[in-house]
Amino acid sequence: MGEKKNLYKNPEYYTNREMSWVLFNHRVLSEARDKNIPLFERLKFLSITASNLDEFFMIRVASLKDMVNAGYTKKDIAGMTAKEQLEKLGEQIHGLVDLQYSTYNRSLLPLLEQNGLHVVKKHEQLSKEDAAYLDKYFESNVYPVLTPMAVDSSRPFPLIRNKSLNLGALVTKKEGKGELEFATVQVPSVLPRIVEIPGENRKVILLEEIIERNIHKLFLNYDIVCVHPFRIMRNADLTIEEDEAADLLKEIEKQLKKRQWGEAIRLEVEEGIDKRLLKMLKKELAIGSEAVYAIDGPLDLTFLMKMYGLEGFDKLKAKKYTPQPVPKLPAGEDIFAAIREGDILLHHPYQTFTPVVDFIRQAAKDPDVLAIKQTLYRVSGNSPIIAALAQAAENGKQVSVLVELKARFDEENNIVWARMLEKAGCHVIYGLVGLKTHSKITLVVRREEDGIRRYVHLGTGNYNDATAKLYTDVGLLTCSEAIGEDATAVFNMLSGYSEPLHWNKLSLAPLWLKDKFLYLIGRERDAALAGKPARIIAKMNSLCDADVIAALYEAAAAGVKIDLIVRGICCLKVGIPGISENISVRSIVGNFLEHSRIFYFENDGNDEIYCASADWMPRNLERRVEILFPVEKEELKAELLHILQNQLKDTVKAHLLTPEGTYEKVDRRGKETFNSQDAFCKEATAMAAESKETENNRVFIPETHHE
Amino acid sequence: MKTFAAIDVGSYELAMKIFEFSGKDKMREIDHIRHRIDLGTETYATGKLSYDKVEELSRVLKEYKKIMESYKADAYKAYGTSAIREMKNSGIIRDQIEQRTGINIDVLSNSEQRFLDYKSIASKGEEFDKILEKGTVIVDIGGGSIQISLFDKGTLTTTQNLKLGVLRLRERLNRINARPAQTEELLEEIDDAQLSVLDKFYLKDKKIENIILVDDYLSRYLMQKREESGTPGYISGKEYQTLMEFLRSSNARDIAFKMGISEENAQLLFISAVLLNRIITMTGAELIWAPGVTLCDGIAYEYAQQQKMVISSHDFDKDILDCAIQISKRYMGSRKRAETLESLTMTIFDSTKKLHGLGKRERLYLQIAAILHDCGKYISMVNLGECSYRIIMATEIIGLSHLEREIVANVVKFNHEEFLYYEALSRESSLDRQSYLTVAKLTAILRIANGLDRSHKQKFKDVKALLKDRELILTVDTKEDITLEKGLFADRAQFFEEVFSVQPVIRQKRGL
Repeated sequence: MGEKKNLYKNPEYYTNREMSWVLFNHRVLSEARDKNIPLFERLKFLSITASNLDEFFMIRVASLKDMVNAGYTKKDIAGMTAKEQLEKLGEQIHGLVDLQYSTYNRSLLPLLEQNGLHVVKKHEQLSKEDAAYLDKYFESNVYPVLTPMAVDSSRPFPLIRNKSLNLGALVTKKEGKGELEFATVQVPSVLPRIVEIPGENRKVILLEEIIERNIHKLFLNYDIVCVHPFRIMRNADLTIEEDEAADLLKEIEKQLKKRQWGEAIRLEVEEGIDKRLLKMLKKELAIGSEAVYAIDGPLDLTFLMKMYGLEGFDKLKAKKYTPQPVPKLPAGEDIFAAIREGDILLHHPYQTFTPVVDFIRQAAKDPDVLAIKQTLYRVSGNSPIIAALAQAAENGKQVSVLVELKARFDEENNIVWARMLEKAGCHVIYGLVGLKTHSKITLVVRREEDGIRRYVHLGTGNYNDATAKLYTDVGLLTCSEAIGEDATAVFNMLSGYSEPLHWNKLSLAPLWLKDKFLYLIGRERDAALAGKPARIIAKMNSLCDADVIAALYEAAAAGVKIDLIVRGICCLKVGIPGISENISVRSIVGNFLEHSRIFYFENDGNDEIYCASADWMPRNLERRVEILFPVEKEELKAELLHILQNQLKDTVKAHLLTPEGTYEKVDRRGKETFNSQDAFCKEATAMAAESKETENNRVFIPETHHE
Repeated sequence: MKTFAAIDVGSYELAMKIFEFSGKDKMREIDHIRHRIDLGTETYATGKLSYDKVEELSRVLKEYKKIMESYKADAYKAYGTSAIREMKNSGIIRDQIEQRTGINIDVLSNSEQRFLDYKSIASKGEEFDKILEKGTVIVDIGGGSIQISLFDKGTLTTTQNLKLGVLRLRERLNRINARPAQTEELLEEIDDAQLSVLDKFYLKDKKIENIILVDDYLSRYLMQKREESGTPGYISGKEYQTLMEFLRSSNARDIAFKMGISEENAQLLFISAVLLNRIITMTGAELIWAPGVTLCDGIAYEYAQQQKMVISSHDFDKDILDCAIQISKRYMGSRKRAETLESLTMTIFDSTKKLHGLGKRERLYLQIAAILHDCGKYISMVNLGECSYRIIMATEIIGLSHLEREIVANVVKFNHEEFLYYEALSRESSLDRQSYLTVAKLTAILRIANGLDRSHKQKFKDVKALLKDRELILTVDTKEDITLEKGLFADRAQFFEEVFSVQPVIRQKRGL
């Protein structure tokens, strides 16, 4: 058996996760390049590729650099060392960036022009009136917030902030000997990046162009030799990335002190930058040529998200979808009574997130509720959930909240409202040592006539009412005794008490979840070997756990038919002869961010279907607290299966992974055009309308006379 | 409906269960919180608890208090077991903790603790009754000792405490520095002396079909793993052998992984499993049932009984009496005479309720005292009182606390010996005044009952007792000559008169 396992773990059968990520960002970029998509939506997708790339640099590239610096030579599942990965990534990312800008310059800009929005690329191209307007704008709005900095022997090279956009200039003293000096000014992030120029036609220009035009006003005693925008990305994240193996973490921890804090890992400059300026930047930032990106266009394309927000272009945007009410939970309904009627499945954003907020709001006010317990990972800025929890504590309920401070990028935000909850009297747990709490679970304990009853919400997405409008997720509301007991046990564990003697329904990472998945996959394999029908459909965001992939290969080789719907990274390869010919992988990149994790197992006719907060990634299965929960009511199982089947049918937004390792759009010949996200929108709308109709029909009909 | 919190301050774990009682017989566990804290190692070694441990204990108890408040619990009961029991300064520490947390910890003697464990199994109701229909051994494996109780046709025939707890055995194994492969063999050598005695005295010739297992390691696995197939908690003797094979052939890491426990616990689980396997082999039991209960269940069950919320089909007092009968048998007590005494004492007790004001529990003491009245005879006919006292004090009677046992032992002793008054008695005994009065009253009753059966010929089978003014009239329906009894009765009755200010009088009614 051991030998056979090794066979499935052959590095040749795996794709490196970073390379797979680049492919994912290419899929997002392909949306920006898709002519069938409204123009402004395409801007949005391009903006997303840019912010994705920024995050990728800060987290993944930084991590690889750490490995190289730490002299870590262990290979990844695809058999690549960190150094090899960085080299390969360099090429790939340069290609990606080139494509981003050719999309911007060649497709989007001309289309914007055609559609009545002129983007002034260079301030030199401004008309006299426009220039005058912008100079005035500069003086009254921009100048006061600028902090120009010059470098000379008495002033060291200034700290350039991570991710900030800057203008770099070479200057000479007006009365000096012509010696070149470096000067810089940050393009202030507090001001809008896009400035609209008044006039008959709609025109916009970027803030850095306005500053560049007026830069001489900042360095009065100097002559300006040249000015160019630049931007750097730093390895400033001092927390260690949880994605890596434990032995690596130890190694890096040792190296941490040696690591130069905030080492620059990417330098973006305008194409055609003055060579002397570039040389100076490279030297001061200690950055090699491979990390320099010469950009043909504006740096930091995330401004396109702001452009999307410009008013007056509604025709060039997709029609806004309003999340629909859940038929079983009409507004104003007693949510606890509704749950007692039976489990309720929520499908966001097609269905509204309001019931989840109401669940906590009603619990906060309900005199019979004893306690509310919840895990919070990322919440929105002005979260109604936080307000409801605080209210509950003030009403004398026992409120326990686990706040995950380690949630990437959200730390400051989290601390503020965690303190607020504490003040209101909630018991706040600030995460667990060494583990991120990624599970999404809420428990409401209610004292009813016939005893304690527990109401539980379990979900695949965060308790964030803002992202719930954009991310596709599923949630379950239940008062099942078995799940209620488990939920209580989960919170006991999160409070630092020992694990329960046994679990009824839930499986938790990091202790049990991986085994459970391996068991479920193994059971399908056994069924296939016994000649029974065997099938797995799994939907998730990323797939890169070697043990799970090996188990899938083994199952597929035994004859299990496996369909995977993986939005992002996928280290599994399809079409390997004798190994993964039975596996299909598709990725859906659409208007909504695919985020739900749903797992279907045929189990010899007694099909089982689960939802989870976890992906099939080592970090989810080994270093996070995650929950897998079964959905057992037949009609809800059918709903979940329907979600999976619709996604398998998608011919518009689905990309299929090919044996060559590329992603191709589904070949539509002979198939109907089917966009699963659109279909879900329509279904949710129809369902809501139908239930409204039946509601209006609530007129008693008297029995007529019988013969 | 009532909510109740049961707290078990164990040797290596502080556990709390929240229960809800609704209706007459519904007992439902709604939360189970466990915190690992090793109190045993310190108190077993030094007899005291370090400052840090007291701190930790207080902190967690405070949290527990909050949790029970959040459930709006109506009552709680906290019991300390061996770690607290063996603490030299237990009183001081318990007071300190109570001052700081508001939680009062009572101490359980071993026999009380085992009785509660036993009640916890009984709280499983029908399953328990069903399994007891056949010969059954309850194996209750703790950290310091194991308790083995034998049931024959639903009757508790014996219960024995063996110092073979898993923590204790592990400590010994570690001292020997045994290789893992030797573990099983060594364990067998260590436990053989005690187990073979058990086998010889009690198990031989008994047909044992079922084993009920109470422990912290194996039960958990049996409860969990069996969910895939079969009923959780049950395993056949044959399946158990397969499990043993797996345990023997795996290292601690594999066991830990497969069973979802820590490696440290894997060793304890193995010890637990070997002990159980020994008993399975000895008895040839075919079915093992792990009800997965803990002391907390027993605490709650006891509370429910007190609150008259659970009407149990099982008669626990009968278990205690059965146990006393077995002890009497062992010391060759006369069953016939004991029966007469039992009946006489009960008649008198019941008809003098107004005089003594004692309750059901004290009635049980008297009954046990009647059963054990002559056990000391086994050692010495002359020193009957003292020897009986010593035997009773040295024998565990399941369900009786140490104090209760002392009451019974004193009643038996003073049945034969001159009564020591509180002032004299308190010099050598820890009995409080209340218990002393109980001893006095029960002794008075036992003495006249004894007097009525002076000849040991059971002439007074049918006695009616009637309290009339300042006389207790004992009407005997017999044709036999009762001159002896009548003559010596005055002497016996004197103490009764002293205690109750009522004079017992014998009347003979000659039947037709």
